[in-house]
Amino acid sequence: MVRPARAHNLDPGDAMKAASAGTSKAATMLLPAPTEPKSMLTRRALLAAATAMSFVGIVMGVMPSARAQGADAATSFVDATGKALVATVNGNGSADQKKQALRTIIDRDVDVPEIARFCLGRFWRLATPQQQQDYTLLFHQVLVNNITGKIGDYKGVVFALGHSSPRAGDVAVGTVVTRPGNEPSRVDWLVAMASGAPKIIDIIAEGTSLRLTQRDDYSAFLSRNNNNVQALIDAMRRQTVQPS
Amino acid sequence: MRWFKLLPIVGAFSVAIGLGGCATPPNPNDPGAVADARETNDPLEPTNRVFYAINDGIDTVLLRPVAVAYRYIVPQTVRTHVHQVLSNIDSPILLANDMMQGNPRRAGDTLMRFIVNSTLGVAGVFDVATDFGYPAHDTDFGITLALWGLPSGPFLFLPILGPSNPRDATGFGVDIAIDPFTYVGKGTVVTALDYSRFGLAAVDARAAVLGDLDKIKQQALDPYATFRSLSRQHRDSVIMDTREDTRATVPAWFARPAPTTSTQATP
Repeated sequence: MVRPARAHNLDPGDAMKAASAGTSKAATMLLPAPTEPKSMLTRRALLAAATAMSFVGIVMGVMPSARAQGADAATSFVDATGKALVATVNGNGSADQKKQALRTIIDRDVDVPEIARFCLGRFWRLATPQQQQDYTLLFHQVLVNNITGKIGDYKGVVFALGHSSPRAGDVAVGTVVTRPGNEPSRVDWLVAMASGAPKIIDIIAEGTSLRLTQRDDYSAFLSRNNNNVQALIDAMRRQTVQPS
Repeated sequence: MRWFKLLPIVGAFSVAIGLGGCATPPNPNDPGAVADARETNDPLEPTNRVFYAINDGIDTVLLRPVAVAYRYIVPQTVRTHVHQVLSNIDSPILLANDMMQGNPRRAGDTLMRFIVNSTLGVAGVFDVATDFGYPAHDTDFGITLALWGLPSGPFLFLPILGPSNPRDATGFGVDIAIDPFTYVGKGTVVTALDYSRFGLAAVDARAAVLGDLDKIKQQALDPYATFRSLSRQHRDSVIMDTREDTRATVPAWFARPAPTTSTQATP
């Protein structure tokens, strides 16, 4: 209980975050202004002026506020997902019940097909549609197995939200995850807002990206197997059959 | 053990060195493959893989079992304090690097940690300094070189030391040269303490990643490539954190209480 508070105290970005939250609020307040003259005026010139003003409004006001809203939405999304994960891992259910619950959370909050495509990298285009389909299905299975296989290690885990930052069109939400008997570790959740509903597309633990590591693993495997996507699919199938 | 039983190991080393270990160059007509090779930056891959296999073997028969036993026999609390003692002994190396990196705040943290934890913390057993507002950090000469603008160079997998590169391997050597304990005394007791320190540090470090390493080896299709990717990403992120640590030199508790937050703003 003490740890998250201390993590916040140490955070040098807090003051900055508070400041930027202030500006985005101010921007939202400015928003309705450009739409008012539009309803009162009929002449073309003034209409054009109003349009120009609303354009300025978009540039000055809507963009930053939309981005800030995206960051807020991503943060509360990660908060909800994280709480659901922690509740499941620390819950009382049997191992099978927990696995089922985790699978539900993954299917709801993680964009598995997108991560799968990313991890295959340039080989995605070289694969046949059938291979793409097989691969995505297996990838989903492997991912779920890998995550549910770690339940035991995470018993008693707590997490604290940090600050979020935009990253190349997506939002990276920072958290500090503490497992009992381990140093607190920094985990960033990369959230894509593009499809409307927020979806997790990467988890970056202590600076190491899950999907990048996975892509390097697959690409090394492929380059040692004549760039044959079918070999990768077969290897993944053996992975899912093996009891882990 | 008869000497000839060592032959396979010696053989493996000589084969590795003899190969001169150059990876097969990528097909120049395949831009994707060329880009991959450039990104991987592992021209010595065949040699590196041999050393990876050797290290993995040593780890499986020696280091991992010891780490498992250490974790099993020694309670969590004791292991934490052992880790703190080992970190405290490393403080002089840290301080030198903080200073060479031109980060007075970090140097101050390290110096105060060393003074407070060596005295109040009873030779580093207890980490009192963190509660006093001097948080721990880790650094080394490889990071110092990176901040000085030296690129990492190609990937290297070194015997015993594991994933590295020319820059970080140099840093490792320089850190040993910086360490004052390298030059302390000459005698059986000192030597014994020195070896136990390094042995314990190895076990401590290995035990900390016990579960993670097992999982990676079990789940990766190509563990070598996965470790290569992980170590490089992690290293880059530590360097970035060091570069971005621009906290004000005056600690928050020392700053006069002010009505606004402007005094705490970083330059």
